[in-house]
Amino acid sequence: MSSGTSISRNRQAPSLQGVDPETCMIVFRTHWAQVLKILEKHDPLKNTQAKYGAISPDEASTVQNYVEHMLFLLIEEQAKDASMGPILEFVVSENIMEKLFLWSLRREFTDETKIEQLKMYEMLVTQSHQPLLHHKPILKPLMMLLSSCSGTTTPTVETELVVLLNQLCSIMAKDPSILELFFHTSEDQGAANFLIFSLLIPFIHREGRVGQQARDALLFIMSLSAENSVVANHIAENTYFCPVLATGLSGLYSSLPTKLEEEEEEEWHCLLKDDWLLSPALVQFMNSLEFCNAVIQVAHPLIRNQLVNYIYNGFLVPVMAPALHKVTVEELMTTTAYLDLFLRSVSEPALLKIFLRFILLHRHENVHILDTLTSRINTPFRLCVVSLALFRTLIGLHCEDVMLQLVLRYLIPCNHMMLSQRRAVKERDCYSVTAAKLLSLTPVCCSTGITLTLETQGKDYILWTKGAQTKDSGRRSSESTCIVEYGRAVDISYLQYLGEAQEAILQCLKDCKVWSALYDGVNPDPATFIQTLAEENSTDVEHPMFRLQQRTPSTCSASQTTAFGEKMQLELEWDDSYDTGISPGSGVSSPQPSDDLGSTEVQPPAEPPKHIQEMKKNAIMLVKGSYIEESDFQDDVMVYRLCAQKDTQDDDHYKEKTLNAARECEVQSQTVVNGPLAKSQLETDLDEHSKRNSSLTSGVMKEQTNQKMTEIDPQPDLELKLSPQEADRSLSVRLLSTDGEDFIAQYDRIIKELDPNNANLEEQKLDTPDLVSPVEEEDDFENFSADTPSAESMSPPFGPKEDVSPTHASRSQSAPFTGPFISVVLSKLENMLENSLHVNLLLIGIVTQLASYPQPLLRSFLLNTNMVFQPSVRSLYQVLASVKNKIEHFASLEKDFPGLLLEAQQYLLFRVDMSNATEESQTKGNVQHSSNAGRGRNLSEACPAVLQPFLGQRGKKGLAQPGLPAHVRNAVLAAALFPEFLKELAALAQEHSILCYKLLGDFEDYY
Amino acid sequence: MNPFWSMSTGSVRKRPDAEEKTLSGELRTSPLRTSTKKQLPSIPKNAVPITKPASPATSAQSTNGTHASYGPFYLEYSLLAEFTLVVKQKLPGVYVQPSYRSALMWFGVIFIRHGLYQDGVFKFTVYIPDNYPDGDSPRLVFDLPVFHPLVDPLSGELDVKRAFAKWRRNHNHIWQILMYARRVFYKIDTTSPLNPEAAVLYEKDIQLFKSKVVDSVKLCSSHLFDQPKIEDPYAIVFSPWNPAIHDEAREKMLTQKKKPEEQHCKSMHVSGLSWVKPGSVQPFSKEEKTMPT
Repeated sequence: MSSGTSISRNRQAPSLQGVDPETCMIVFRTHWAQVLKILEKHDPLKNTQAKYGAISPDEASTVQNYVEHMLFLLIEEQAKDASMGPILEFVVSENIMEKLFLWSLRREFTDETKIEQLKMYEMLVTQSHQPLLHHKPILKPLMMLLSSCSGTTTPTVETELVVLLNQLCSIMAKDPSILELFFHTSEDQGAANFLIFSLLIPFIHREGRVGQQARDALLFIMSLSAENSVVANHIAENTYFCPVLATGLSGLYSSLPTKLEEEEEEEWHCLLKDDWLLSPALVQFMNSLEFCNAVIQVAHPLIRNQLVNYIYNGFLVPVMAPALHKVTVEELMTTTAYLDLFLRSVSEPALLKIFLRFILLHRHENVHILDTLTSRINTPFRLCVVSLALFRTLIGLHCEDVMLQLVLRYLIPCNHMMLSQRRAVKERDCYSVTAAKLLSLTPVCCSTGITLTLETQGKDYILWTKGAQTKDSGRRSSESTCIVEYGRAVDISYLQYLGEAQEAILQCLKDCKVWSALYDGVNPDPATFIQTLAEENSTDVEHPMFRLQQRTPSTCSASQTTAFGEKMQLELEWDDSYDTGISPGSGVSSPQPSDDLGSTEVQPPAEPPKHIQEMKKNAIMLVKGSYIEESDFQDDVMVYRLCAQKDTQDDDHYKEKTLNAARECEVQSQTVVNGPLAKSQLETDLDEHSKRNSSLTSGVMKEQTNQKMTEIDPQPDLELKLSPQEADRSLSVRLLSTDGEDFIAQYDRIIKELDPNNANLEEQKLDTPDLVSPVEEEDDFENFSADTPSAESMSPPFGPKEDVSPTHASRSQSAPFTGPFISVVLSKLENMLENSLHVNLLLIGIVTQLASYPQPLLRSFLLNTNMVFQPSVRSLYQVLASVKNKIEHFASLEKDFPGLLLEAQQYLLFRVDMSNATEESQTKGNVQHSSNAGRGRNLSEACPAVLQPFLGQRGKKGLAQPGLPAHVRNAVLAAALFPEFLKELAALAQEHSILCYKLLGDFEDYY
Repeated sequence: MNPFWSMSTGSVRKRPDAEEKTLSGELRTSPLRTSTKKQLPSIPKNAVPITKPASPATSAQSTNGTHASYGPFYLEYSLLAEFTLVVKQKLPGVYVQPSYRSALMWFGVIFIRHGLYQDGVFKFTVYIPDNYPDGDSPRLVFDLPVFHPLVDPLSGELDVKRAFAKWRRNHNHIWQILMYARRVFYKIDTTSPLNPEAAVLYEKDIQLFKSKVVDSVKLCSSHLFDQPKIEDPYAIVFSPWNPAIHDEAREKMLTQKKKPEEQHCKSMHVSGLSWVKPGSVQPFSKEEKTMPT
């Protein structure tokens, strides 16, 4: 029956070459006369008998044959000039197409007939030598056909329909005037406007070829809409295009696997293209996401805005947010990996913007997504690895908003450094002092082993480029020299690091050109910044950025107060450990009566990440024996490990729990130790609250939660009278009230800060388990979660005011804090020896990315070793020095350290070789596949055949000697990595010293 | 006819390592967002991994060794940093270019635009000690001994010591020497001169001094097109005006100022993400049409 195609395929176009057009016309007319005879015979208007006589198969096929010939003639007709050819004119004047369509209607209008007709039109519009669609007698039956196909469910009809629609759209894209015709014809029909468009919508999320063709077709229309606001308006206002697209994402997301098989791989931490191509569901989702990206790229701003909005409110908030707070670690890992993948896949700024906005500003159950993600870096699970990968992606975007929220806002006030140092922020390191200092941290024990040197050094100098890169030719070689003594070994890898550093910094410089400020300690001005924050604090609830979220149909209630109330109860039901942290009253030495706990005085807890709560809950249940394993709950392994790794867990829970306390604690310290000046002021203001330490805190918190007791809120009044000193405090308060959860990771610092004797974080960690007897663990899990040390160590600020010594006050006053992210990354880095290789590689990647930023505030914090910071601020250099000591300590204990180190170095080099080899082979073998996607994939998977012979001693398994305990292996690998990391940082510092002048300058001609 | 200063390369010294690398096939040039795993750098083809013996002797001296093996890098970057400072200073009429062979030798030229030495074009070479910045101050030697109280009539060396008796790192920079070299031609100092004749004439017989200066300036100009004293690919070479070469170059120099702005506009669209309203310090504070409403 597929006559249409049979014509196009079997008949050769040249067969009509040279045939007289008039002959063709005559043939066409006679054919039509034959056809018409049959048609009229069955036309009830022309023949009263028609309705009784059934159409015989003979007649049908006769018509079919004639029509085939006619169409062929029509297609082959060459138009002269702009006028219609005679056949076309005849078709139009006789209204042949409509008659044919009615004929098919009169017969049984089966799917087969539809397909036949669809194919016929497809052939006509694609192959005809003259434009046909401008003629209403052709367009109208086409539209009738299309509308008769709407709502079809037969796959074969759908396929043909989409093919035709796709063709029509591509014709429209070439000739926008046709768009108008379609648009208005649909109006005439009274059918849904712009039929073609409406017909395509149901196929948006379809998988396979049909979906792809439909999306391509829609993209044609989208790019047309950019020029045609009538179409844009129509799409935005009268169609469900944007909602369908956005909610479709949600639908597709829900069918994504909640666990990924790759998790079995040790190295797995993010989804590469090779990975997701294996999952059809994910492919489908990514197709739709890429389609959204494309639509936003080409469509009219009206459509773009609407779509972006729907994606935010219809996908990110209601779907992604809860998904990021799932119950099991595996689910969380998967979701995080998805989010990371999405971020890496989205290229259109407008779309990227809402993803970032979601991460940075959206609050799920009152916690910023960003804070939740940050807190997960500190989990002992592999969730940390996935989260780190996500942050690496975020930082790699070079987006001002991200960096502002993550790091810079904590550095702008310049509280982290000594006052005298502020002018040094912009200083540059002319003589590579920082590089020298960093490199001198190379542990003595690591200087053995592999060093890369040039094979021969015949000259008294080496040409850097030639020496390092012999491969590239052709390009004008810039032959500069480095002064190197004869015969001395030069660390070639360092040259590489310098090159990479320069590349990274220049790229970052380029991307940061659009940033709003220099972040050099002067702009934005620290004082103004603090004031701005304070002012914004008072009007926070009305702030547009929150309004958006309140309107969204998320689980997050518009009324925060109720949400809090409910939350509190929920929490208290299963774990009262939060009390200690949450309520100042429960502090050991706090005078606040415990009755207040449930009252409005009790402020909302800083939400711990929900997954932590859940995991903890599970752990508790497990320990108490009440845990019933669910069939699909795979996480019990995790939970077991959770219990087994008590030390880590102690730390962690301890941390998590106290994280809640952090913000409380912070406010406390702020309030109490604010110095005599502020205190009197506060006291009078807060008289009615019996001068309880927590009053201000509560007040502030209440303000935030929009509770009724606003009269006690001292903030707005206070701010007007703020002295500079005060301003610091109000900054902190402000930070707390709008996003107090930012302080989640601050706990360690606060402890240190509050207890002068306890300067070392390590000690804290060691202390904790001691306080919880292992025996008690089983029957009182909460106890260990709600362990007392935190409360005790926090007791000073909770105690009577007299206890607050002036020194204490002055120390805490400025609350130097470099932000939760920096804190957590640095503390994780400090534990390099305990981390797995992958965690370390990611950490190193993140730190070097951060160190590539040209902003003086960031650069001076990370790379200026001469900078003097506040005692409580831990600098990167300090952390590195501590790692160095740990490595040296470890080396002194480990008998065969040099041997192990050598093996580790070989392994790392081997890893590099392998990934290079993989990359090369891919590039050579398959152009389609030459993307970087495959690079860096698991070694043994990437290239098993090549790998096997070498794997023996130095491969992955070779290194993981059966007898070698994991912690030794991790430590040795860390020791091998550490010197390389130092080189990377030193190279960045050196490059900064010669590139920083480009911040304002014209670096473009440099490229 | 103005002699055209035909230093072909740009004023910024070619960076030794990076430019080439970006195109090299060996180096992975993946954009940040797609690169997924942190790796050690690849190993150059002609490099040999050397396994050092783990003897206590080697490890003992390694702290020194760290500095020793990276010392050249520190020096190179110190000099690069100095050079970027020179570029940044934009000293009027002063141009320098480090040599091809050694970063410790810079070629330069000074154009004197008014005063006694007006129309003087003096080529010079700066020699930087290899223990920079901890050694003596760099030396500045004119190719031809200019008639000047502070310029040695035989060697052509400028008396830098009087201004930089002791070279202090962080305080003294090479651009200061260049600025000093320029200033001596505008503000003449005759105390303890290297060229006593010039000093005496300046004090006693300014007319004769002037005519000697004019002779000196003429002499320098007459040797302007000479081959450079030191053979080096990056030496500064003057050639007579050649419209075929120089017209185009001059055109380029004159139009260059507009270009960066255009490029800037272009790059705004291409890369860089920021939705922060200037001055607000709040994320997503910039008012935009794309703002979700």
